[in-house]
Amino acid sequence: MLAQAVEVSEFVRPHIDWHAFAPELILLAWGALVTVIDLIGLEKTRRYIPGLTGIGFLLAMIPVLTLWNDGSTRVLFDGAYVVDEYALVLKGLFLITGYVVVLFSTYYMADGDYYDSEYYQLIAASLLGMLVMTSARDLISIFVALELISIPAYLMAAWRKRDLKSNEAGLKYMLMGVFASAIMLYGMSLLYGVAGDTRLSVIGEAFTVSESKPLFTLAVLFTIIGFAFKISAVPFHTWAPDTYEGAPTPLTAFLAVASKTAGFVALVSIILEGFSGQAEVVEPFMWILSAVTMTVGNLIALKQTNIVRMLAYSGIAQAGYMMAPLAVYGTVSDAARSSIVTYLVIYAAMNLGAFTVVIAAARRTKSGEVASFGGMINWSPGLMAAMTVFLFSLAGIPPMGGWLAKWQIFSALLEADRNTGVALAIVAAVNSVIAAYYYLNIAKQMWFLPSPEGEFRPFKVPAALTAALVITVVLTIGMGVTGFVPEITEFVAAP
Amino acid sequence: MSAFLRDYLIVILFALLACGVVGGFIGLGAIFRPNRPTAGKVQNYESGVDPVGDGWSQSQIRYYIFALLFVMFDVEAVFIFPWATQLETFGYFGLVEMVIFIFILALGLVYAWRKGVLRWV
Repeated sequence: MLAQAVEVSEFVRPHIDWHAFAPELILLAWGALVTVIDLIGLEKTRRYIPGLTGIGFLLAMIPVLTLWNDGSTRVLFDGAYVVDEYALVLKGLFLITGYVVVLFSTYYMADGDYYDSEYYQLIAASLLGMLVMTSARDLISIFVALELISIPAYLMAAWRKRDLKSNEAGLKYMLMGVFASAIMLYGMSLLYGVAGDTRLSVIGEAFTVSESKPLFTLAVLFTIIGFAFKISAVPFHTWAPDTYEGAPTPLTAFLAVASKTAGFVALVSIILEGFSGQAEVVEPFMWILSAVTMTVGNLIALKQTNIVRMLAYSGIAQAGYMMAPLAVYGTVSDAARSSIVTYLVIYAAMNLGAFTVVIAAARRTKSGEVASFGGMINWSPGLMAAMTVFLFSLAGIPPMGGWLAKWQIFSALLEADRNTGVALAIVAAVNSVIAAYYYLNIAKQMWFLPSPEGEFRPFKVPAALTAALVITVVLTIGMGVTGFVPEITEFVAAP
Repeated sequence: MSAFLRDYLIVILFALLACGVVGGFIGLGAIFRPNRPTAGKVQNYESGVDPVGDGWSQSQIRYYIFALLFVMFDVEAVFIFPWATQLETFGYFGLVEMVIFIFILALGLVYAWRKGVLRWV
């Protein structure tokens, strides 16, 4: 066998579908271009870098749209890289998320006298990893994509380098992230050892005939635990609140939305394709993880007084809802996939919106406490209206997008028609009620309680933040009212 | 025992033998040599130079930055050497791929240079 591998065969130039690869290539080329411009201009070009980065993200959207129009599934590198509707919806989601993050980072970074241009280049690098992740159907490309997402994020978490909390955030995030990667890599090496291939489709087939059940169970556990760290599922969530609080707030939004979504994408790809025939091993584990995550996340969120920490725990709880369909994927694989994608899209819109309001309000209040939102109805009615939309959406109140996302999750759970699915749906329903308390508590602060400062100086929201707010409000309400997302994600379910 | 595990048995025996030989000789020396410590003898040995300061001294963070840049090109070499042995097989395709790869890495070096990281302040 060794002799076979060493023997030099005639080199055949691999066929590359440039159209399918275009979003990633545009992002890579544009990132290099922005770096070169930054290196030539230094301080002179510094203020154009955020705009240029944003344009690059929109440019990368063009091939995503043409590929969507084309509609055919493209398979590259012997099935290791697949561009299908599932991948395209998520590529679009990541690019729009990246654009909104650039919009609301602009003022934060410029005000704080941080290293500006590098921040945007790192965002672009992380985003490139996310685009790769959506198409990766191979353990190696999934791992490389995950590291490409994480390593820039470790740096950016410690971006406020003169602030001790930011240093703590970066260090905690990096140590836990590296630890999780190591565990995941161990799981992946076991998977490869049993299946003899890194492609998910081959792993899926290998396990339906394999007899090494204990080894497989171990491999599944380690791989899922690795991703559980990335999506901050309980009990692997401990890094999240500290990192979210200490990191620059725009980056927190990026972590809470884009990075978490990327972890979910990998988890969904691996479980639905690699572990497709092994539901009886994976389902109980996901059931427990999902139930514990949403319950613990919501209960701790009740006690938070800092709004960013509260959003961190709310994000943990939301991850619990998103994981729920994976507890019944053996029966309703397609519904599980499309409901998770729907949830990810809507979650991105409403959570990014909530963070935008926090960033905008912090420009006035210089504080992250929930009490600082008091009296917002007087000092910024527009901001208050937007925040109310996002809070109602997060709590799942119609007609905002959040109810649609929850409804999809519940219908997937009930469609499975199994006791475990119904039980998890009940846990999720109880949790939705608990969550409504702390979301609506913020709304109460804004609407009815006085401002802690007791004065109403005028407050203006900068243009870039307004643009981010308009995008997220339109998406949050639009998706809830029209049910637009399920129309897209029903394509996703088709194999 | 399978042939696969038997190979590892040799590794374990070899490791035990190595520990035994080294430990044995040092142990024998400890039994036979006279023990007369003086201040000069119990000092840490560092290439014959007298040690200065304490074991927990801090080193300059600047060395770290250079080490980081070094690692970048060290890893690059790992990819370039196997590629170079097969360059004729890969032809122009391989050449273009490697130029792109080196360009991206070189961009990192130019970045460090332009931002003044390489200056020893």
